[in-house]
Amino acid sequence: MKIGIRVWILIIVLALSLLSIQPWKSLENGVLIKSVETNSSAFNQGLRQGQIISSIDGKRVSGLEDFSEIISQKNYSENSSVKTIILTNQGEFILFSDKPPEITVSDIPNSNIRTGLDLSGGSRALVKAQDKELSSSEVNDLINIVENRLDVYGISDVRISSVLDLEGNNFMLVEIAGTTPEDLRNLIAQQGKFEAKIGNETVFVGGINRDITSVCRADQTCAYIEQCSQSGESEICKFRFEITLSAAAAQKHADITKNLEVNITSQGKYLSLPLDLYLDDILVDTLLISESLKGSVTTQVVVSGSGVGETRELAVKIAEKEMNKLQTILITGSLPYKLEIVKLDTISPSLGGSFTKNITLLGLIVFLIISIILFIKYRKIKITLSVILTMFSEAFITIGIAALIHWNLDAPSIAGIIAGMGTGVNDQIVILDESVSNLQISLKERIKRALFIIIGAFFTIVAAMLPLFWAGAGMLRGFALTTIIGVTVGILVTRPAFAEVVRKMGE
Amino acid sequence: METEKIDKKEDPITEETREIKGKFKFNYDKHYKILFFIPLILLLISLVYLGIFYSKNGDIIYKDVSLSGGTSITVNGEIDQNQLENPLKAKFPDVSFTRLEDVTTRKQIALMIESSAPQDKLKTEIENILGYTLNEENSSIEFTGASLSQDFYRQLIIALIISFVLVSIVIFIMFKTFIPSTAVIFAIFADIAMSLALIDFFGIKLSAAGIAAFLMLIGYSVDTDILLTSRALKSREGSLNTRIFRAFKTGSLMTLTALAAVIPAFFLITGLPDSFRQIFLILALGLFADLINTWLTNASIIKWYCEKKGIK
Repeated sequence: MKIGIRVWILIIVLALSLLSIQPWKSLENGVLIKSVETNSSAFNQGLRQGQIISSIDGKRVSGLEDFSEIISQKNYSENSSVKTIILTNQGEFILFSDKPPEITVSDIPNSNIRTGLDLSGGSRALVKAQDKELSSSEVNDLINIVENRLDVYGISDVRISSVLDLEGNNFMLVEIAGTTPEDLRNLIAQQGKFEAKIGNETVFVGGINRDITSVCRADQTCAYIEQCSQSGESEICKFRFEITLSAAAAQKHADITKNLEVNITSQGKYLSLPLDLYLDDILVDTLLISESLKGSVTTQVVVSGSGVGETRELAVKIAEKEMNKLQTILITGSLPYKLEIVKLDTISPSLGGSFTKNITLLGLIVFLIISIILFIKYRKIKITLSVILTMFSEAFITIGIAALIHWNLDAPSIAGIIAGMGTGVNDQIVILDESVSNLQISLKERIKRALFIIIGAFFTIVAAMLPLFWAGAGMLRGFALTTIIGVTVGILVTRPAFAEVVRKMGE
Repeated sequence: METEKIDKKEDPITEETREIKGKFKFNYDKHYKILFFIPLILLLISLVYLGIFYSKNGDIIYKDVSLSGGTSITVNGEIDQNQLENPLKAKFPDVSFTRLEDVTTRKQIALMIESSAPQDKLKTEIENILGYTLNEENSSIEFTGASLSQDFYRQLIIALIISFVLVSIVIFIMFKTFIPSTAVIFAIFADIAMSLALIDFFGIKLSAAGIAAFLMLIGYSVDTDILLTSRALKSREGSLNTRIFRAFKTGSLMTLTALAAVIPAFFLITGLPDSFRQIFLILALGLFADLINTWLTNASIIKWYCEKKGIK
């Protein structure tokens, strides 16, 4: 049988889908760079997110385990410059640093198919401003700030997008693979308005480019856990880190402290009013100001706080976390609005894994049952096969397009693909039945009639699913998207090819 | 009778029709108007049921936490529901449970606990009973705020109405005649009403995805109505009865395969995301309703219309 142009188009589109999905990706060796800390030596040397590391110092890296083993064997220590040669798919990078490369890596994904949070696990928060309707440009500003805050905090693999719902409300959707909801809540729901006050006067507020010029982080000499102590049943650990104030803020400090009296206490001589640190209007710490700082233009200020835990180990961990959070807030400044998390979902990766397995099995069962029904009906292996192959092509091309547009296939998206397969089979049955009956009119005419029904069915399903793009803050957009992609692929590619095959079989 | 005349031309399809008639011993020409009343009565029952349901519950559906606001916690592993049920019910009277199973082994993979309570309260209580901390390794938590869920619900209902209107417009453009188009739209309406009544009857709590499934049902169920109407009105081969019966043969196969695509998700495989299962359950119920509404209601109206208009 000669292959006609429509079948050729189908074959080409299938090949393109295969290119888009790239199922052979799993054969590649190496690790994928998920994130690079900005302004780190790794970043400055040119390492970027998305590059694939294939070897380090000439040793092959075939997976995550190799990577951590090689890095842990290297002796990075303070004040020594260790050479690291990293070979990636975008060339070789040589780092000289006293620290391991500031990057996070992961195994290379099996293909370009991206799964949604409900299948791969992770956290998702839908956020809106409290008591304020945000415009879309305000949401975009907000996204930049939150992106920065999460980046500074060290959360990688974040997707933040703006979402518009049916009634014109704007939301910010934050999706993170593998972060605890607590982190997400702390970093987003907290406006992070930091103020340091002496009495009622504000000395400085949080945010680099405002009153602060730098915040010490990840440097044991100026940011560390100071001491731990037992308090009843639990342990308390104190942390401290230095910040550098702008000249203006330092001057303000001098002006305010100039007029303060000196109190003599058992611990030493301190000014009459302490420096109170407020976070979102809540007093988080009170620092006594030593006599020597009275009226002085000081740019170095120590910020401190504490973490409480059941054991010392836990308390240290919590203190470190708190320190990181406070540093992040001091660097990134306050969010322009008080935010509210209106939806917060955390899906465990292991449950997501079993969902994926079950869905795959479901897909196979559906294929099998439909094949059996069709075979019983038509009793021809050729017809059954061509229907099944068409159905498969449709699903495959839909997934290919999803991979191409970086769509995350979540459960509703996959439901859309399967339902789309169902309508696809419907259309093919119409084509088959039209072509084997009504023999007194030409086959071409009969297929034309089938196409009328099919095009009608196409427009009704598109019309039916369209409102879902916006309703419910777009949470079900995937369902509409894959269905519409599926039926569009059907009408443009697979249906014409199938009709051609049927016509050839008929002749 | 008209059919007899065409029979003489040895139309294979008409023979097929006679075969069907013979099997069912039923005179379609005589009784088709009665057939119209069966679904009509079912529709009335559904609507009355929905009315009573509304007056009792203040809404036409039971809403799950994604539409009413609240928390859904899925704890991985073989969690004993009995252990949790009474202590949780004492604190959260509206708490409900769903078991998730693996397909192949039938082993429980997780237990889903839903309540309108805020997530921290429900989580702490479950942790106290189970004796361990819930984290992202051993559990999944979904929380939807009350005001957002109301927005979701309202918008999904608006979406459903928009969807219905858009599809109606498409139908009118396709057929350009009032009665046949209205018949199709009426069948869609009946599909929605009947499956909604069934969902309520079974006591199923609808999620946002469930309502989305109704949108798809509108688009999905209309295929067979389009097939029927276009065969009855647009082609002239064979008698009207023949065309309707042929459309029925094709259409029922279509619905059957569609059901084959959606039913396994509900009966064979339970370890699926809830959103996923609801979509398929609603499509399955809707397609069943559609068999009745297309081939009894819509077909009767079309036949009556064609007879009035002299389309044979």
